[in-house]
Amino acid sequence: MTDSKPLTGGGLLFKVLEQHGVNHVFGYPGGAIMPIYDALVNSNVQHFLCRHEQGASFSAVGYARASGKVGVCMATSGPGATNLITGLADALADSIPVVAITGQVPTAAMGSDAFQETDIFGLSLACTKHSFQVSHIDELEEVLHKAFEIALEGRQGPVLVDIPKDIQMASVEQTFDASAHLKNKVKLPLADITKALDLLADAKQPILYVGGGVGMANAVEEVRVFAKETGIPSVSTLKGLGALDTNDKNYLGMLGMHGTKAANLAVHDCDLLIAVGARFDDRVTGKLDQFAPGAKVIHFDIDTVEINKRRVADAPILGDLKENLPLLTMSLNIENWQKTVQQLKADCAWRYDHPGERIYAPAVLKEVSEIMPKNTCVTTDVGQHQMWAAQHMTFDDPSNFLTSGSMGTMGFGLPAAIGAQISRPHHTVIVVSGDGSIMMNIQELATIKRYQIPVKILLIDNAKLGMVRQWQDLFFDGRLSETDLSDNPDFCMLAQAFDIKTRQITQKSEVTAAINEMLDHDGAFLLQVKIDAKDNVWPLVPPNSANNEMMESE
Amino acid sequence: MNTSPLNNYTLIIMTDDKQVVLERILQVTRYRGFLINGMTAKVNTGTNIATIELFVSSERPISLLIDQINKLVDIKSVDVENKA
Repeated sequence: MTDSKPLTGGGLLFKVLEQHGVNHVFGYPGGAIMPIYDALVNSNVQHFLCRHEQGASFSAVGYARASGKVGVCMATSGPGATNLITGLADALADSIPVVAITGQVPTAAMGSDAFQETDIFGLSLACTKHSFQVSHIDELEEVLHKAFEIALEGRQGPVLVDIPKDIQMASVEQTFDASAHLKNKVKLPLADITKALDLLADAKQPILYVGGGVGMANAVEEVRVFAKETGIPSVSTLKGLGALDTNDKNYLGMLGMHGTKAANLAVHDCDLLIAVGARFDDRVTGKLDQFAPGAKVIHFDIDTVEINKRRVADAPILGDLKENLPLLTMSLNIENWQKTVQQLKADCAWRYDHPGERIYAPAVLKEVSEIMPKNTCVTTDVGQHQMWAAQHMTFDDPSNFLTSGSMGTMGFGLPAAIGAQISRPHHTVIVVSGDGSIMMNIQELATIKRYQIPVKILLIDNAKLGMVRQWQDLFFDGRLSETDLSDNPDFCMLAQAFDIKTRQITQKSEVTAAINEMLDHDGAFLLQVKIDAKDNVWPLVPPNSANNEMMESE
Repeated sequence: MNTSPLNNYTLIIMTDDKQVVLERILQVTRYRGFLINGMTAKVNTGTNIATIELFVSSERPISLLIDQINKLVDIKSVDVENKA
């Protein structure tokens, strides 16, 4: 140790972060976390000042999802800590490893309704995988190691560590060996492999249903090999996109509420559903008792609670997907089924011959996807643009498509893209956003300016809260309520105020040149794509309907 | 609106005596759709293991709650006595 000052709790925090390979953190300082920010000055960890703690938490999520490492965010007590909560809830819902550090008022002041005091420890119970409040300096180091261990162990998730200010300032000497805490504690596998093999051997119309757990288990290769060797037709959830080979003739795309017709019809008719790292989410299943109604289920998952939660598994296989899935590989005689789904896929292919000169967002997104460099990371916000991106862009790895799946959090895209770009500085990062969502964390344009982060912002602008407007039109008799955003700011002028280059397009003929200009530009770029406010996302499984009852474009 | 009858269960939960473990168990129990009808809790100060007896009712299968409580970091075991 070269510091002349004794090690404090704040200094210890950064030593532990470095032990865990943390190079970057996202945060915002304030009164109760000042000793930690003081220690930051002497640390090797690079801090990114976001302009709202929610931005910091989403940047940590984007960082984690793009890199596979733990994302770290920091905030002060009270409002700083509460502003992290949406990001933590998002990380919990999508199983993302994040460690959040919050400052707390000094131990002696806790419970006195002190300035900027809030019970973030209590608030964290419903939005973290686990949380700690450090009550003595001697606990701090072990707690921090445990936070990383818990965030990464089994089904990943966010962990919060609340550190009172006096503990941040306290002197500390002891150092533990981090490796002593880093052991995998996944419980005994519940693996009904024999039953699963029997079910698979008997299946005439099996479907492989792939979710976000595949990427998190680092099992993309295993799933692709399994799909190829068995020839089983496959579908993906929103979070599973990128896990399957999109060139596989038996891959049918996304299933669910805005899934492809081919995927939904094939799943409806299948006699065996092999769920891998997927959890039968309501946006996937539609009306649950009519989801794959004739199918037996083999369910691979790392988390016991997902087995039998929404659909009873005939063969549950709990444990490491990477090890377990290859055990099921066999050759199958399902040529007729393959021909059926391939015909469905051909019959239901997307069409991009949209009439008129107005810009058709799905065609723009398809073109971006075809032009963007390999290993481009795309983030989205939430709404119509998100579903269009999921439907019409293709990804070769789940870490290249970051979207708020379970929580559906507007405001996710921009800060997540910042985190992704910092974790992968040599890759292109594009945020596909909407004119509603982008305003939720618009202040992060200042973070882009400060650190010259070359994120490309593709803003699909219909001057509406488009998805809500679509539902109001379809399911609320066209009674439009609070979905008009025609008084939006001038987005190009707004971005220019943060030194971001911009372009606005309104006609089909401008699309290709504009996409190339955006991708060729070295720095940050905002491309505003004006579209018709009446464009809808199709197909759509209406609420409380089976997935074979999709509504389609008129 | 409920179509299934409420079933009563007694859960015996063994847990490390850690911060807010009781709050975590109660939060998970409520969130997962179980009514809490009563509870007893005591700590063995020698082992720092707490034993919590939780009386709950729900129309949902008790296995869903057992799995969710078992998943909490400090929990050592969860057993159920069906007192329906």
